[in-house]
Amino acid sequence: MPSSDPLPPKENAIFRKILKCYEMKQYKNGLKLSKQILTNPKYTEHGETLAMKGLTLNCLGRKEEAYDHVRRGLRNDLRSHVCWHVYGLLQRSDKKYDEAIKCYRNALKWEKDNIQILRDLSLLQIQMGDLEGYRETRHQLFKLRPSQHASWIGFAMSYHLLNDFEMANSILETFRTSQSVESFDYKHSEFLLYQNQVIQESGDLDKAFKHLEEHQGQILDKIAVKETMGKISLKLKYFDKTVSIFMDLIRRNPDNSEYFKLYLEARQITDAESIINFYNEMSKEYPSSLCVKRLPLDVATGNVFEELITEYLKRNLRKGVPPLFVNIRSLYRDSQKVATIEKLTLEFVANLNSTGHFTKDDSSNGIPQEPASALLWTYYYLAQHYDYLKNTVKALEYVNLAIEHTPTLIELFVIKGKIYKHAGDVEEAYKWLDEAQSLDTADRYINSKCAKYMLRANKIKEAEEMCAKFTRDGVSAMENLNEMQCMWFQTESAMAYQRMNQLGEALKKCHEIERHFSEIIEDQFDFHTYCVRKMTLRSYVDLLRLETRLRDHPFYFKAAKCAIEVYIKLFDEPLKESSTAEEANLENLSPAELKKMRNKQRKAKKKAEVESAQAAKAEKKKEQYNKSKQQQNQDNGDPEAPLLDELIPEKLERTEDPLGKAIEFLKPLQLLSKNLIETHLMTFEVYSRKNKILIMLKALKKAYAIDPESAALHKCLIKFTKLLEQTLKDADEIMKQVLLHEITNELPILQKKPVEINEDFLSRHKHRADALIAAAEIYYDQSDDNQSKAIDLLKSAFKLGDMSLEHALLAYNLLFVEGKLGELNQEVKLEFKKLFNDKYPFVPCFKLESL
Amino acid sequence: MNIRCAKPQDLMNMQHCNLLCLPENYQMKYYFYHGLTWPQLSFVAEDDKGNIVGYVLAKMEEPEPGEESKHGHITSLAVKRPFRRLGLAQKLMNQASMAMVECFDAQYVSLHVRKSNRAALNLYTNSLGFKILEIEPKYYADGEDAYSMRRDLSELAKKLNKPDNSTCAEVVESSRAHHAHHKSDGHCC
Repeated sequence: MPSSDPLPPKENAIFRKILKCYEMKQYKNGLKLSKQILTNPKYTEHGETLAMKGLTLNCLGRKEEAYDHVRRGLRNDLRSHVCWHVYGLLQRSDKKYDEAIKCYRNALKWEKDNIQILRDLSLLQIQMGDLEGYRETRHQLFKLRPSQHASWIGFAMSYHLLNDFEMANSILETFRTSQSVESFDYKHSEFLLYQNQVIQESGDLDKAFKHLEEHQGQILDKIAVKETMGKISLKLKYFDKTVSIFMDLIRRNPDNSEYFKLYLEARQITDAESIINFYNEMSKEYPSSLCVKRLPLDVATGNVFEELITEYLKRNLRKGVPPLFVNIRSLYRDSQKVATIEKLTLEFVANLNSTGHFTKDDSSNGIPQEPASALLWTYYYLAQHYDYLKNTVKALEYVNLAIEHTPTLIELFVIKGKIYKHAGDVEEAYKWLDEAQSLDTADRYINSKCAKYMLRANKIKEAEEMCAKFTRDGVSAMENLNEMQCMWFQTESAMAYQRMNQLGEALKKCHEIERHFSEIIEDQFDFHTYCVRKMTLRSYVDLLRLETRLRDHPFYFKAAKCAIEVYIKLFDEPLKESSTAEEANLENLSPAELKKMRNKQRKAKKKAEVESAQAAKAEKKKEQYNKSKQQQNQDNGDPEAPLLDELIPEKLERTEDPLGKAIEFLKPLQLLSKNLIETHLMTFEVYSRKNKILIMLKALKKAYAIDPESAALHKCLIKFTKLLEQTLKDADEIMKQVLLHEITNELPILQKKPVEINEDFLSRHKHRADALIAAAEIYYDQSDDNQSKAIDLLKSAFKLGDMSLEHALLAYNLLFVEGKLGELNQEVKLEFKKLFNDKYPFVPCFKLESL
Repeated sequence: MNIRCAKPQDLMNMQHCNLLCLPENYQMKYYFYHGLTWPQLSFVAEDDKGNIVGYVLAKMEEPEPGEESKHGHITSLAVKRPFRRLGLAQKLMNQASMAMVECFDAQYVSLHVRKSNRAALNLYTNSLGFKILEIEPKYYADGEDAYSMRRDLSELAKKLNKPDNSTCAEVVESSRAHHAHHKSDGHCC
C-alpha cells in the first residue's frame, strides 16, 4: 500500500536514502538527509520523515528527541505503516515489548504483507512466549516466502512449541524431501536430529527409531544418534540392540555413569554379584575409567564391599588422590559402609606408623613399603571423614597430624577451615582459608573460597579485597563481579549484609542478581534468528524451554528469599528518616553520653567527607567510562540499551511499598519453585501482613501438601488459627462460609484449637529437635505460665540424636537473642550455658564467658 | 563422576564453575553462543550430586588466512580444585576433540595458555600431544604472554573408536578472556 502522504519524486528519493543510511548505520548522513526534507516548508511536518529522523536519533543515543520526533511523525500520519513500525522499533529498543507488539499490529493493519514487520513481530512473540500469536505470524510468513528455509523451519517450530507434533513433523518431512544433501552437511545433520526430537516427543518411539536408522548415515553427531537410539531401544525392549549401542558408547566415553547404568538395564543384570563381576571385566579393558572402579562400591555389601573398598582406598592413598573423600562421600548414606571405612582407615594409620604398610597382611606378604605420603593422605582422609560425621574434635586431631606431617599442603588448611565452619566458628574458619590462599595466590579457586568464608564471617570489605586480586584493574571489584554476573559472590554478600542489618545494601545485591536473570532472559532475543539460520534447533528449543523456568535456579531462590525477608522486616520495622532518629535519641542521653556521641558524629562527619570526595572521584571516572561506552555504541551503531535506575541502598530500604517489592520477588518462586515448602511459607508471611486470609490459607494448603510435619509450617498453622478465630467473628457471611468450607475439605487440622494442635504435634515428634523447639515457643506464646514447660522441652532437645548446630542456634536465639521465652532466672541461664557449650564448644557465642 | 556433553541448562553452572576457578570470565550470552552454535563441543564433569565440577567450553574457528582446514578452539577449561588429579581435564579435552573431528571435520585444535601455568602446559604437551606454535605477547588482560598451542587431530580421526586413555595432570585453563573482546567475539546476529 502506498504511503498515505506521498512525497514528490525528488523528496521521495531522499527519503529512500534515509532508509538506506539507517540500514547501513550511517546515522549522521541520515540526519543530514532528513534535514533536507524537513527544512522544506511544505514538508516540515511530514510524518514518515519525522519518524525516521527519530529512529536515527535513537541510534545516536538521543532518546528523548527520538521519542519526540517519532510520536510527532505518527500523529501526523496515523495511517502510515512506516510510522507505526518505527514506533514499534523504538519501543523494542527500550524493551517495552508489549507496546512494540501493539505498534507492529497497527503497522500491519495498513500493510498486512510486509515481511520485515511480520518478522519483527514474530521475534517479539516468541520472546514473550506468545506461542499462538507466533504460529499465526509464522504461517503468514510461510505463505509469503515459501522458498526460504527459515520460513519452513519457523512454521514447523511454531507447531512443535504448541505440542502439535503431527503438523510440525509433516512440515519438516515435506521440507526434508525437498532438500538435496551434500556430504558433511552439518546443517542437514542438525535438521534430522531436530526432526527426530519432534517425532520422539509425539510419543511414537518406533517411528523415531526407524527414522534414525534410516538417516544415521547423514547425521554427524554420532553421540546424539547413539544415545537416542540406545534410550529408545531400551524403552522398546530391544535389549540386544541396546546392549551393543551402549557398549559402543562406553568404548568412546568410559566415564559416563549413565551409559553403564543403561547397559546393565538392557542386560537385565540386577544382582550385586553379577554387576560387580561386570565392572571387574570392564576395568581390565578401561583401566583409566573412574566409573568402573567407583560404581561397584555402590552395590557391594558386607565382605565384598570391604574387599573392594580396601583396594580402592589403598590405591588412592598410595597415589595421593586428593578427591578420594568427595568421590566416595555418597557411600556415607550407608552406616555400615561408614563403619567399614572407619575401621580400615584407622588400621591403615596404625600400620603405616608401625611398619609402613597399610595392613599387617601387606607387610607379611612382602609388599614394598608405602610412600611416606600415604600416611599424610590417610590423615587427610580421616579428617574429612570425622568432619562429615560432625566429630569436630577428631577431625581437628587428624588434620593437625597431617599438617605436622606436611606443613605446606594447601588442601589441609582448606579442610581445617571447613571443619571450623561446620563446627560453627566462622572467624576461625576464614583464618585458615586465608592461610591456604596465601600459599598459592595464583589459584582463583582458593581465593574464591577464602572470600566466601570471609562473607560468612560478615567480613564484606575483606572479601571484596580478596576477590580484587583476580578482577580487572581500573574498576572496583564489586562492579567487575557484577558485570561478570558473579552470583555466588552477590548472594553471599546479600546474606552477610542481611545478618549485619545493613538492609539497603542487602537489597541492592538481591536486585543485582534479579537483574542478571532479566538480562539472561533478554539475551535470548538474538538467538531466535541465529539458531534457525545455524539449524541448531534442538539446542534452541532447549533454550526456549529453559528460559521460561530460568528463575528456578538456586541462585535466584537464595536472592529472592533474602530480599523477601528483608522487605518483610522493613514492613514490620520501617526505618525512620535518618535525621529524626537522631533527634529522638538526643533527649534520652546523659551529658557524658552526649559528649561521646558528639565526638562520634565529628569523626563520622570527617569520614563522610573523605568518602564523598572519593565518591565524586569515582563518579567522574564512571562518567568518563559511560561516555566512552556511548562512543563505542555509536561506533557499533547499537542503540544505547535502556539505562536502568541506579540501585541506591538508602532508597531501597526506604521504599514506600516493601510488601509490593517482596511480592515481585515472590512471584517467580510461586510459579517455578512451588515444590519448595519455603516458597509457601514466605507467601504466608507476606500475605499475613496484607491480611489476605484466603491467600494465606492457600499457601498453608500447599505447604501442608509438601510436608505436613514441618516445624516451620506448624508455627504458621498456629498463627493462622488465631487469626481465623478473629476473622470468623468479624467477617461477612460469605467469607465465613468460604473459609469454613475450605478448611473442612482441605485442611481439617485447622478446625482444632491451637493448644490442641500444638499438643498433637509434640506428641507425634518427641524425638525431633526442631519440633520441640517450635512447640516450646508456641507454649510460652500461649501463656506465660508455660515457661517452665517450654524450658524443659528445650533442655530435652539437647538429649536428642538429631539435635544439630542449626537447631542449637535456633534455641539460642529464642532464649537469649529474641527473648521469646521471657525473662530467665540465673540458674536456668547457667544450665543452658552449660548445655550449649558442652554440645558445641567451638561456637563463639556459646562460649561460657560470652553468654 | 560423570562426563557428558553439556546441555543449555548446564551453561549457567559452567559459568559459576568458571568464576570460581579462572581469572578469565564471560557473560552468560557468550556461553549461550557456544552452546547454541556448536552444541556438541562442550562437555561437563559432574559429581554424584550432579554438581558441575569441571567443564570444557569449545568452539570452531574459520580457517586461518591461507589455510583450508577448519579447526577447533578451546575457549576455556577448568576443574574445581578439590577434584583435581583425577584426570578430568584430559578426559574432557579428549571428548571435545573427538566431537570436533566428527561433527565439524576439524584438522586440529588450538588453545592459549598462560606462560606461567606450568601444570596446564604439562597436561597439554605431555598428555594431550599439543605443541607450542608461538608466543603471543601480552595476550591476557593483565599483560601476561600466552603460548599459542595446537594439537593435530588426524591421528585421533583415524582411531576415533579407541580414545586415548593415558593419565593426565592438573587443572588447566586456557582462554582468551575479555569483557570488551568477547562482545565482538560472541557476536551472533
